[in-house]
Amino acid sequence: MKPAPFRYHRPATVAEATGLLEELGEGAKVLAGGQSLLPMLSLRLTAFDDLVDIGRIAELQGIEAGGGAVRIGAGTRMADVERAPAAAAVPLLARATPLIGHFQIRNLGTVGGSIAHADPAAEYPAVARTLDATMEVASPAGRRTIAAADFFDGLWTTTMGPDEVLTAVSFPVWAGRTGFAVEELARRHGDFALAGAMVALSLDGDDRVRRCAIGLFGLGSVPERAGAAEAAATGRLLGDVDAEELGRSATAGLEGVPDDLHASAPYRVEVGAVLVARAWAAASAEARRSGGGERDDG
Amino acid sequence: MGEGSALGGAGGADVPVRLNVNGRGRRALVEPRRTLADFLREECRLTGTHLGCEHGVCGACTVLLDGAAVRSCLMLAVQADGCDVTTVEGIGPPDGSLGPVQQAFVDCHGLQCGFCTPGFVVSVTAFLRDNPDPSEAQIRDALSGNLCRCTGYQGIVRAVRQAASAASRPAGVEEEP
Amino acid sequence: MTEVGSAGATRYAGARVHRVEDARLLTGRGTFVDDVSLPGMLHACFVRSPFARAAVGGIDTAAALALAGVVAVLTAADLNPGVHEQWHTSVGKDCPETPRPPLAEDEVRFVGDPVALVVADSRYVAEDAAELVEVYYEPLPAVVDYTTAEEADVLVHAAHGSNVVGELNGVPADALAEVYAGAAHVVRATISQQAYAPVPMEARGIVVDYAPASGDITIYAATQAPHEWRAFCSRLLGVPEHRIRVVMRDTGGGFGQKVLVLREDMAIMLAGPKLGVPLKWAEDRRENLLAAGKSRRERADVAMAFDADGAIRAASIDFLSDCGAYPTPWPVTSAAAVGALFPGPYRVPAASFATKNVYTNTVGRTAYRGPWQFETLAREVLLDIAARQIGIDPVELRRRNVLRRDELPFANPNGMPYDAISPAETLEQAIEMLGYDDFRARQAELRRHGRYLGVGVSNYVEPSTPGYGSYATEAATIRIEPSGKVNVSIAGGSTGNSLETTVVQLTADALGVDIGDVATVQGDTAVTGFGAGAAGSRSGSMTAGAVGDTAAVLRERIVAIAAHRLEAAPEDIELAGSRAYVRGTPAVGLSLAEVSALAYFDPAALPPGVPPGLEASARYRAEAGIIWVNATHVCTCEVDVGSGHVELLRYIVSEDCGPMINPSVVEGQIAGGVVQGIGGVLFEHLAVDDDGNPLATTLMDYLVPTATEVPEIEYGHVETPSPGPGGYKGVGEGGAIGAPPAVVNAVADALAPFGVTITTLPLGPSEVRALLRGAVSGG
Repeated sequence: MKPAPFRYHRPATVAEATGLLEELGEGAKVLAGGQSLLPMLSLRLTAFDDLVDIGRIAELQGIEAGGGAVRIGAGTRMADVERAPAAAAVPLLARATPLIGHFQIRNLGTVGGSIAHADPAAEYPAVARTLDATMEVASPAGRRTIAAADFFDGLWTTTMGPDEVLTAVSFPVWAGRTGFAVEELARRHGDFALAGAMVALSLDGDDRVRRCAIGLFGLGSVPERAGAAEAAATGRLLGDVDAEELGRSATAGLEGVPDDLHASAPYRVEVGAVLVARAWAAASAEARRSGGGERDDG
Repeated sequence: MGEGSALGGAGGADVPVRLNVNGRGRRALVEPRRTLADFLREECRLTGTHLGCEHGVCGACTVLLDGAAVRSCLMLAVQADGCDVTTVEGIGPPDGSLGPVQQAFVDCHGLQCGFCTPGFVVSVTAFLRDNPDPSEAQIRDALSGNLCRCTGYQGIVRAVRQAASAASRPAGVEEEP
Repeated sequence: MTEVGSAGATRYAGARVHRVEDARLLTGRGTFVDDVSLPGMLHACFVRSPFARAAVGGIDTAAALALAGVVAVLTAADLNPGVHEQWHTSVGKDCPETPRPPLAEDEVRFVGDPVALVVADSRYVAEDAAELVEVYYEPLPAVVDYTTAEEADVLVHAAHGSNVVGELNGVPADALAEVYAGAAHVVRATISQQAYAPVPMEARGIVVDYAPASGDITIYAATQAPHEWRAFCSRLLGVPEHRIRVVMRDTGGGFGQKVLVLREDMAIMLAGPKLGVPLKWAEDRRENLLAAGKSRRERADVAMAFDADGAIRAASIDFLSDCGAYPTPWPVTSAAAVGALFPGPYRVPAASFATKNVYTNTVGRTAYRGPWQFETLAREVLLDIAARQIGIDPVELRRRNVLRRDELPFANPNGMPYDAISPAETLEQAIEMLGYDDFRARQAELRRHGRYLGVGVSNYVEPSTPGYGSYATEAATIRIEPSGKVNVSIAGGSTGNSLETTVVQLTADALGVDIGDVATVQGDTAVTGFGAGAAGSRSGSMTAGAVGDTAAVLRERIVAIAAHRLEAAPEDIELAGSRAYVRGTPAVGLSLAEVSALAYFDPAALPPGVPPGLEASARYRAEAGIIWVNATHVCTCEVDVGSGHVELLRYIVSEDCGPMINPSVVEGQIAGGVVQGIGGVLFEHLAVDDDGNPLATTLMDYLVPTATEVPEIEYGHVETPSPGPGGYKGVGEGGAIGAPPAVVNAVADALAPFGVTITTLPLGPSEVRALLRGAVSGG
């Protein structure tokens, strides 16, 4: 299974990269880690005239913490996220990363590549959506940011323009009495999730839910938030929130749930509810135990 | 056209690459679409790296890229420009004897047909180097990215345990490349 | 009876000898077919049908041919007329076989059916060109549902006149009507298994090197049966057998898929000579999942009658097998084996069976490790259903019916003559290894806490080492070189079954030499005598016989030479440690090197009547028609009823493969088969939609188990020698036979409190949850 022919470009800077994309047009594709793109090329599921390899652009590397967020260069390898102490400030990242494929994939795959590929069953897009991450994007016209809620546009589709490159992703840090959990159901270790849930939870001193985020992945064409369930839980005493009921309400009314060889749509919804419940329970337990920090992310 | 960054034309014009493979410098002109796996097997004549799926699932093509275990079927040769690549042929000691991971596979009956074996040897070498004292769960987790159809993984898990405990002994232990 | 290793103590048989194959394979120096590179070699790529059934109007090759680097684009018109004869040795010339055109002619019959062959400078270019070949298809209605194929209006093979490939029946079901009518308990079920496949890590491959000047053909192939490929090729091309050489150095797994020449291999054999340069086809993974064949897609209505104490009175099976469009080999006899073996290792007085095979517009059925294993799946699953229905513990039910040693030989009601097996012993050993009563106690305790563990047992008896036709003999050639080192060559066909090591162990023991003094050559038809290949779990017993018979000739000669030289009686000479010495006084002896030097360089010093040299060939003939093997598998699991996820906890195999030549090899063979069986129950599905479109064409969708999905396997060994050489039995296929029902029964046992009955596979989490939903709603 060999890819169809293409031209190869290796820009040294972001400006060069976006300039190339603008010039080359629709037949050009950004190549980051290649762990999603190369199989599709080899299977000839897709083909491009030009690949623009951003793997050597220094600006896209690095993980920095500060200002209430952890900012990760789009070209940063997943394996580096796994190893970076700074990333520990975003527990959902730390817990989701080992679930992504296998270590060989993580050695090449990049944070930006995964998020820009926008697979609805992938972990990083779900982390970004759950935490309302901010995507930093560059084009020949300049730089802009896109909120996670506005970034994922459909199956494998983002709202980036054809000449835009994702340069960094900024993940907010939750301070205070927090708890986080990722629960996913995959056929085998390392496979794409059939369904998955992520919970971020913050409590006040009386064990009242100050803030929560419930992210769903594998359950639609984009990673989703269970907004109604979040709203229902916010402000309530943690002990009054029934995890199973929360799970069911989080997955009620989902549309476009995938149905395929590996799992039916009804199954995904059913197990999605179970996973939300389990993630909520785990995050709750962690938040309860947590003493909290000084900073308030307001 | 961005001529400064365009490395090759359409449909088969070649791109220069220079890299080290098993410590030896290699230079070649390759099509951009040439996978690293095919480059190693064909241009470098190192056929120990195997093609089991060519879509990044089976791990038979695993090599070390600047020391990190990667699937060479999911890389283009041009992406490895300037890098150090180690294949299974370069994992053991230079005199051609078996390294500790390889010897453990012999001792523990960790292979049958041998087709997946190079991928396992390379993956396990990298894993144990970074995780010298793994738990049982960590071992299986680390092996989950390589598929085997012959052994049922039994001998492979034993081999990793043996190689791990051999590596943790202080004296007289061979090193990886 | 052939003696094996009777000279001196057997040093290596029974020992975990390290494999002679390992050093080259661990250092990346094996030679698999895609590693073969010959000067001027070209590369092949097939154009394949995207339709399950369509008429082929025309093929436009102009655009493909115009691409730089493309040498040829061949179609049925170019290749198929080159076929002289096309039949497999084991099936024979006169069998009513499915016609197998190398390339599809006027009709394509499954998605993936090869329609054209592109030949180019590289596989990259060949794939580019394949996309440019224009085939004019007129899609036609397809037969996809095998359960209704017999009645379908559409015929897969019009000339055949029906979609039934063939049927073979035993005693008809209604002959047992009274037995069922009068039985205290009757249990019935319809049990079905999904399509899955061997999926060896190395896909198929072949290089055909035709030398125009001489007309000789050298073939490098990924094959389990090099001599069969030579014979087939000779008949196919009309080229005399001695002009064809087939070489198999290393092959990356076969499991039955690589025994017989399939259509693509035929196409390459036909195309190579046309091109006059070496031609390679290296199948890729998508092709392997599309077109290398499927197995296991079958179902049966099964029934058993029991008396009040749970003793089986009758067992009946009505079996239907989906054979796809191009089954290879002719599937009717292995389907009949399902019927004949269904009663299993139990005291069953009466049985009926009917077996039917149908064509569908899907990929053809090919052999896979224990091709008849459905009989064990169906029987063992039914026994557990019966146990729950009757109210007896499933192990106890088996205990009451399992055959005991003092009942052997026992002819099952279909005439299968079981002997030298130990199903009662393996059952007890496996149960004891588990700690069955402790497990049941723990299961009950955990159920009170809402956790669901289960235990599943399966017993089987299988036929190995077929002793008929081309399988009945195996030869070896042993040459003790002038320096005393030993070369042994056998037909081979190992695709991972450690046959090189087995043969070296056996030879070292048979000649009393150090194992380091023995080397082996296998898999090269120019060097080795005809052998049917590695199939039917035959290699252990047959090579033991071949090596034994051949070594006996040489031992006699060595002993005679040494006795003459040492002025001792031949019966006082012992062979051990690469020496021949007077028993009791090891210092009084000759090294094998000294004996050999005499034999080759000083024939005048040989005793009268002893020929010079130390080389011999002998062809062993199997005495038994079948060597029976049995085992018991026990599996425990926990089912997460919320998600449907199944986790396997322990896996135990108590097997009786007779004496073991190499325990590591035995365990390795069992383990590989067990994990394939686990995969077949929980993960693997070569699924097809209602229009015949395959849904699992990559390893992202066809799920092979990884190290995290399988437990550690525990082995128990019971030893009942077979009547064959060394008492050895076949062990290659058993894991894949015994495992699926052990896993199914474990899951069913875990879910028993919910009233779930499992009769359909696979059991992914989605299916498990559906079973639970159905049980809750009373469905």
